Amino acid sequence: MLTRFVDTIRQRFSRPLQYYQDICVRCGACIDACHFYVVSGDPAHIPAYRMTLAKKVMQGRVSDGNRLHNWYREAWGQESRTAAELERAMWECTGCRRCAVFCPFALDTALLVSAGRYSLLQEGIGPQMIAEIGNAEVSKGEIIEMIQEFYVDQTKELEARLQKEFAPDLRIPVEKEGARVLYVPLVGEHAIVPLAKVFHAAQEDWTLSLFTATNHSFFVGDMDKARQAAHWIVQEARRLGVKAIAYPECGHATRTLLSFFESWFGDEIAGIERISVVQLVASYLAEGRIRVKSGTFDVPLTYHDPCNLGRNSGIFEEPRALLRAVATDFRELTPNRELNWCCGGGGGLIAAPEMKEIRMKAGRPKAEQIRQTGAQWVVTTCENCKTQLGDLNEHYGLGIEIKGLVDLVAEALAL
Amino acid sequence: MRTVAFLFYYITPYIAVIVFLGGIGYQLSRWRQKRPVPANLSLFPRPQGRLGRLMDTLVDMFTLKGLFRVNRPLWVGGFIMHLGLLLLLLGHVRAFTDYYFLWDLLQWGEEQQHQFSAVAGSIAGLLFMFPLFYLLARRFSGAVKWLSSPEDYLVLGLLIAIAITGNHMRFVLDPDTHEIRQFLQGLFRFRWQPAPVSAGISFVYHFAFVQLLMVYFPFSKLMHTIGSVFSKMVAKS
Repeated sequence: MLTRFVDTIRQRFSRPLQYYQDICVRCGACIDACHFYVVSGDPAHIPAYRMTLAKKVMQGRVSDGNRLHNWYREAWGQESRTAAELERAMWECTGCRRCAVFCPFALDTALLVSAGRYSLLQEGIGPQMIAEIGNAEVSKGEIIEMIQEFYVDQTKELEARLQKEFAPDLRIPVEKEGARVLYVPLVGEHAIVPLAKVFHAAQEDWTLSLFTATNHSFFVGDMDKARQAAHWIVQEARRLGVKAIAYPECGHATRTLLSFFESWFGDEIAGIERISVVQLVASYLAEGRIRVKSGTFDVPLTYHDPCNLGRNSGIFEEPRALLRAVATDFRELTPNRELNWCCGGGGGLIAAPEMKEIRMKAGRPKAEQIRQTGAQWVVTTCENCKTQLGDLNEHYGLGIEIKGLVDLVAEALAL
Repeated sequence: MRTVAFLFYYITPYIAVIVFLGGIGYQLSRWRQKRPVPANLSLFPRPQGRLGRLMDTLVDMFTLKGLFRVNRPLWVGGFIMHLGLLLLLLGHVRAFTDYYFLWDLLQWGEEQQHQFSAVAGSIAGLLFMFPLFYLLARRFSGAVKWLSSPEDYLVLGLLIAIAITGNHMRFVLDPDTHEIRQFLQGLFRFRWQPAPVSAGISFVYHFAFVQLLMVYFPFSKLMHTIGSVFSKMVAKS
């Protein structure tokens, strides 16, 4: 029963997962941490229960008639029910790691969920589409020469437009050898335009990557493919001889860059700095390489710490420094920073249409938090968060606008 | 019956210790055999440097400050129980050896030592026992009930049994501590002494439950004693 799941997750069980499973005391501190459990009351959403459930299934004790005996042996019956429970436990999670902050042992449920998702997909359980996008990101590297010309043309057009609109000497270099910074964008010009402006103002020696930073294989816990997709970018960085790789505001990509690249690529990445554009832009401002018109934005606004930039990457103060420089009325969400509520859209859920309903439910703590501040703008970075906050705005009638952090900085630039 | 008593007092304690230490070793090597995770599992904010990580982990261990921030009632229960346990362990060390340097420093005679350990032991026994009842009651309420496994009740049951029999000896029977000490030191030094009689049946139960706990320890969630140091260090890396 669920044999593919069990075989795969056993193989995937790394050292921390083994001791997480052995030492969780089920104290319940994580119960209040999970936005899914808080809104659903479904035991499958309790972080420690996700751990217990996986343990139960992995032990593979099938139940017999005696209820007390089954309970004592932690046996499980009825494959379909257990599979459905596992599906909710592994897929209805945004991997935000808020529960790890609450846990007295810092047990990382997201690590289990990552292994669990990959193993469930072997049973055909879960949104296959996210995995498909991940596959496309891996194979993009093989066909990059075919799309390069088209991509460069598009970028030239964008460059010409920005030269007209913003600054006549603005450049968007692509494949520039010896540039200092390789900027890896997202799909769409919205992730290029504000950065092109800021880089121009800071007189940064940069070049635009042919790839995108998103890594959907990471969402489904397929770490081999996640590494392969990211490897194209490392190879590009080495080919061009850049000093730094800068990732866009995107949350999960930032986490791969800052927390996974070193163990994925080791020596290959040695000597190449890895930085989020949020850190980079904040450093420009701190060093006086860019100037902004202070008080450009005279509306009450707040900042939502994306899980993957905040508690998972430690980028807490940079966004606040930037916002204080450009806004007059900055308000904190309560709680904030590492205790901030997840928006409910992370972990790839945004990419799966069938997850929309649970996303809207799971975003309720976030919506209430935003309402309490009375802010009219919610500024954030992560792309998932932006889409989710936009959906929440509609669903809960918050009457807010969602703004990107670097967009605001670019708008407030004093040239 | 005499054979059973002999085995219980002079043989199974050694087996319990061997299983306890061997089991811990086995679990540690089992963890070691698993492949380390190829990633950095940091949770932010995190302390700087190796020493900072270690200090922070130790402070966390002795204060449970993370829990204090997010769940006050659970912190009160958990912290006081563990504090009582720590004091009890320190007290039970006196069954095998003594804090000679401390008594010298304080210039306390035997009478004062005895009085002190009676008071401190009583307090520690209560600090340990009452939170255990709270922690057990919690297991029957709300979401924690969903979460609880048989193991959770078993461990709490064992600890409560140990606490009750221990406190029964301390508060009701007032046994001859000298006698108990002689017996345990005898075990420790392989020079067997007669089993204590002044502590009655409570000693028998107390001794039996502790042996059970030692055997069960390595194969239960009680391994969090050691494992939580690893998991905390990983999260601060």
